[in-house]
Amino acid sequence: MAHHIEGSRNSCALHGALQVIGAIEGAVPVIHSTAGCGMQHHLGITRLNAGNDTFGGPSVSSSNISQKHIVFGGGSRLREQLKNTVKIIQGELYVIVTGCSTEMVGDDIPAMTKEGREQDFPVIYANTPGFRGDVHQGYQLTIKALIEQLPKLGKVAEPVSDSIVNIWGIVPQQDPFWFGNLEEIGRLLETVGLKPNLLFGNGQGLAAWQQVPEAVLNLVVSVWGETPAQLLEERYGTPALVLDALPVGRASGRMLQAVTERLHLDTRRAERVIQDEENRLTNHLAALADTYYRSGFQREFALVGESAQVAGFSEFLAGTLGMIPRLLIMTDNPPDHARETLYSYVTSFVEGYGTELFFSEDHGEITDRLRSSSAELVLGSALEKEVAFEMGVPFLELSFPLVERVVLNRCTVGYRGAITLLEDVGSALLAASGHRIQEA
Amino acid sequence: MSEKKQGKHVAIYGKGGIGKSTTTSNISAALAEAGYRVIQIGCDPKSDSTTILRGGNDLPTVLDTLREQSKVRIEDVSAVGFGGVLCIEAGGPVPGVGCAGRGINAAVELLQELKLFEEYKPDFVLYDVLGDVVCGGFAVPIRDGIADRVFVVTSSDFMAVFAANNLFKAVNKYAPSGGARLGGVIANSIQAAYAKSLIDDFTDQTGTTVVGYVPRSITVAQSELYGKTVIEALPESGQAQVYRNLARYIDENEESVIPKPLNAPELKRWARSWGDRIFEVESGVVHNMASI
Repeated sequence: MAHHIEGSRNSCALHGALQVIGAIEGAVPVIHSTAGCGMQHHLGITRLNAGNDTFGGPSVSSSNISQKHIVFGGGSRLREQLKNTVKIIQGELYVIVTGCSTEMVGDDIPAMTKEGREQDFPVIYANTPGFRGDVHQGYQLTIKALIEQLPKLGKVAEPVSDSIVNIWGIVPQQDPFWFGNLEEIGRLLETVGLKPNLLFGNGQGLAAWQQVPEAVLNLVVSVWGETPAQLLEERYGTPALVLDALPVGRASGRMLQAVTERLHLDTRRAERVIQDEENRLTNHLAALADTYYRSGFQREFALVGESAQVAGFSEFLAGTLGMIPRLLIMTDNPPDHARETLYSYVTSFVEGYGTELFFSEDHGEITDRLRSSSAELVLGSALEKEVAFEMGVPFLELSFPLVERVVLNRCTVGYRGAITLLEDVGSALLAASGHRIQEA
Repeated sequence: MSEKKQGKHVAIYGKGGIGKSTTTSNISAALAEAGYRVIQIGCDPKSDSTTILRGGNDLPTVLDTLREQSKVRIEDVSAVGFGGVLCIEAGGPVPGVGCAGRGINAAVELLQELKLFEEYKPDFVLYDVLGDVVCGGFAVPIRDGIADRVFVVTSSDFMAVFAANNLFKAVNKYAPSGGARLGGVIANSIQAAYAKSLIDDFTDQTGTTVVGYVPRSITVAQSELYGKTVIEALPESGQAQVYRNLARYIDENEESVIPKPLNAPELKRWARSWGDRIFEVESGVVHNMASI
């Protein structure tokens, strides 16, 4: 039965597209839709999470179509907008992204793109109307467009001798820690002698994207990375390694082992790296031990976020830190096959805890479930702050949207991310402990 | 809008090519001849609804004008045709581009904004709307109480009846929430012996009535070739009288119903039964002296 969704955190496909393009250096989005689409993205996402993108935020290029373009078609308006954008914003790549209105009307975007290319504009397009789905669909649709259309621009990638690994499944901004997370996964891959292709963030431009077909492996860290990996397997025969969750703490070691095995790398080197990283993590855990027992870290927690985050964070918090997962809510609407995988993955480390796992993007339902849970700590998005306050329990912003944290290159995956989680969760617990320094 | 509505607003729908524009124009002409102030609005991107009212002269469409200039005046998009009928064409995009449905919507909105009806004070406004109700845009004249009554033009061809049934569905959907109700069915191009009975049976099945039978006539084709309505070109003809009767019906009768469209299997069964009967008529089978 149809039901209403209150306060969804998954925005729309066009926004996902803008987040993908915004995270690629030198890529310039050109929105072909009504004026509200770009603004909505700025108000709902960019302003919260990313400040002003280089070419995004309120200054994003948009055809801002009006009624006459709906009635007579918006092709000529798009042509004009593309020409003007190329004049005003210097970029390596222009990506036309469409909204609902122009897709309903059926504007011939491929023809306009081809026309742009005939004038030597490096332009591609992605059909990303909001009715195609949410931010995750936008991520997939745009990546598909990039993979399929970049070869048409005719530039050939620089030959590479390194073993490149593309990383898929982290949606820029929808994962507020995307930048740091990609860097940490990249850092770990480098330790075993691979060249990570982060694709988004610092220094990740057209050249990185042109190297995508050269990769020896596609590493998938959430269900949303499966489509790009499948497409690349079909087109270029690149194998994929699919993780069930974001690798946090010891799961990062398993990731390195799996990659090493798959690519027949030096096993001893990988084990040395893992040992070093684990020692480092263990030292931090040991340093925390006193506070851990004194402040009662071992609490029942509720965690609300994207499926890969929830699975990854909860494994670390429960498995390594010994906290008790009470309620886990995955908000990104993973497809059915992924739900089964996630369910059995989570079951493997929550067995015996009586943990409840739900899939929901409805703020109302999430709030109700939190309220009726016995959680003593709420980890989630800014949307969960109020109910945590009502429940009188400590709260930490960990998933989109964040409103009270500045996140630049902080990460929540890998070994470093595990240490960050220790710091952040620990700080949230201590801040709420009412501890005061005695006056002399 | 409904409180201060000027005149009676009638929408005429029907399958493409069934003779909507000819019928509508002749009704407009007959109403004008009877002394009424009439506006005919063509709601079809083909923009040829009012051609025979104005001798085939060019008339800029509302949407074309809207595209060219920011401010549109009624004078820019209307022409006075036979008997003072004010002719307006909504217009639309070239085939294959844009959204004609939204175009109809925008054109009707603009005419309301320009206070066309308050200014012109018509007795009758006739909307001649494109074929099938292919999308929401083409249902605009029957939604929101823009038209009070809908008349559906059909012939005895199955596809025309099929389109009429679809239109009944649209009326059925919108009428309960203030949309237009069905004034009746105009049976057009009546020629074959069974045509009248077939349409009568369809209206019986759907709880509607035929308000006029328009025989297929050479006078219609002849008048159109002169760029005129039958009322103007051959006012003494029997065909002109048929249109005058239709106009009188629309003028004098306020009756309207919410039709009961057939669902897909019902319509299929109904069509099959007529298929059998027509075959028997054409091949001379007589059951118990019955004739149809």
